[in-house]
Amino acid sequence: MISIKNISKKYGGDTVVDSVSLDVRNGIIFGFMGQNGSGKTTTMKMIVGITRPTSGTIEIDGALLGDMSVHEKIGYMPEAPYFYDRLTGLEFLRFSGELFRAGKKSDAKYDELLKKVGLHDARDKAIQMYSKGMKQRLGFAQALVNDPKYVFLDEPLDGLDPIGRREIKEMIKSLKASGTTVFFNSHILYDTEELCDEIGIIDKGALLYCGPVKEFCANGRLEEKFIALVEKNTTE
Amino acid sequence: MKIIFAIAKNTFREAVRDKILYAILGFAALFILSSLFVGQLSRGDIVPVKSFGLAGIYIFGLVASIFLGSSIIYKEIERRTLYFVLAKPVSRANVILGKFFGLLAAVALTTIFMAIIYEGVIFYQRGGFDYGAILAVLFQIMEESLFIALLIFLSSIIPPLTSTICAVIILFVGHLTPSALAEAKLVGGISHKFISLLYYVLPNLEKFDIRNFVVHNSPIPGSVGIIAFCYALLYTILLLYCAILLFNRREL
Repeated sequence: MISIKNISKKYGGDTVVDSVSLDVRNGIIFGFMGQNGSGKTTTMKMIVGITRPTSGTIEIDGALLGDMSVHEKIGYMPEAPYFYDRLTGLEFLRFSGELFRAGKKSDAKYDELLKKVGLHDARDKAIQMYSKGMKQRLGFAQALVNDPKYVFLDEPLDGLDPIGRREIKEMIKSLKASGTTVFFNSHILYDTEELCDEIGIIDKGALLYCGPVKEFCANGRLEEKFIALVEKNTTE
Repeated sequence: MKIIFAIAKNTFREAVRDKILYAILGFAALFILSSLFVGQLSRGDIVPVKSFGLAGIYIFGLVASIFLGSSIIYKEIERRTLYFVLAKPVSRANVILGKFFGLLAAVALTTIFMAIIYEGVIFYQRGGFDYGAILAVLFQIMEESLFIALLIFLSSIIPPLTSTICAVIILFVGHLTPSALAEAKLVGGISHKFISLLYYVLPNLEKFDIRNFVVHNSPIPGSVGIIAFCYALLYTILLLYCAILLFNRREL
């Protein structure tokens, strides 16, 4: 379980995330939604340990973040990922795998992952030759290299063509089917509604809603409800 | 250690695939090979050839260090490649140490490559190798280790251009302070105090310059090597420690 208690993040005098608390149950797909600049990415960066919260705590499986054992269980794909361009896709996956303490993985494992994301044919090409969509897929593959229990994806469907989006969505669903908890950031509401069991809505750093997507959409579409909630927050 | 090794291997691989490095190596090879003409001009005197060749190895070794090292951490932050790494069970100290060892390996390999060309030139000129040059190259690699640690330290806090300028100034002053201090002692006053401050705060890079001994086949005291090794080791550890402290505080 992911348990976030009162996390805040301040940069200088600006509060980017303001006392956010939420719990994410194991084995579900959780969509974290918000407009650009609402604090989604900063929240995710705090959860995966890239940046430290100014206050509050984050626990994954009962262990506080900062404990390296927590990082063994998570996979993370940043938004619009940049890579080491002179490496090939296979070399980058190998490098990602070597950063975990668990035993050395075989190339067959990496090949399998590359097949899964549709990059097997391009595995020996330098990443600088990859298209944006291919980089997005590689980012997804490296997030799965340690068979994580928790996967965090920041805008995973951005930059993908319709077929690529469908494939990634299928992969997210198959992760859930295998018991993995998926936490993803998105501002694409259609995909969120289709994929998620639960959602969190953040605006101006404050959490406005957290709960089942069906409950939130009880009397309408997610998009309408989301806009109404954010506009209400803006006028208040 | 496994993680530091993985990051070092990745850094090394990235560095040796950098086209800039090949351009530097190309120029270095031309420069060292041109000492053949110096040999002809000096009518068989080997001293100018050795002096020219060793200077080439030194200059291009530093140029390679600056090009590869001045943006090494900054680039990772700006391009967000660190996000992949730090979400995994990797500490920021692992990143600094891995980057250091990977870059040192790449620069040391570049230096060794240039030394091989140099030995080829010397063999062609006088039919034997210059074994003293091996020692000079070892001292140079110690200096490069310290210099790379300095570049990593600077790169973790300031942008590449500023980092390069600072590193070049420190390099220049680091070679100048021992002789400047000797002169300042004679003058005394505030100049002496100021140069003493620079001498003790900035690295004394003259400790690694044994090229004059090698060029003139003068005996090198054993203590010089031990002092240089300990100095490089301690200074490198200090710089990497400071880089880790600063990098740990840095917001990403």
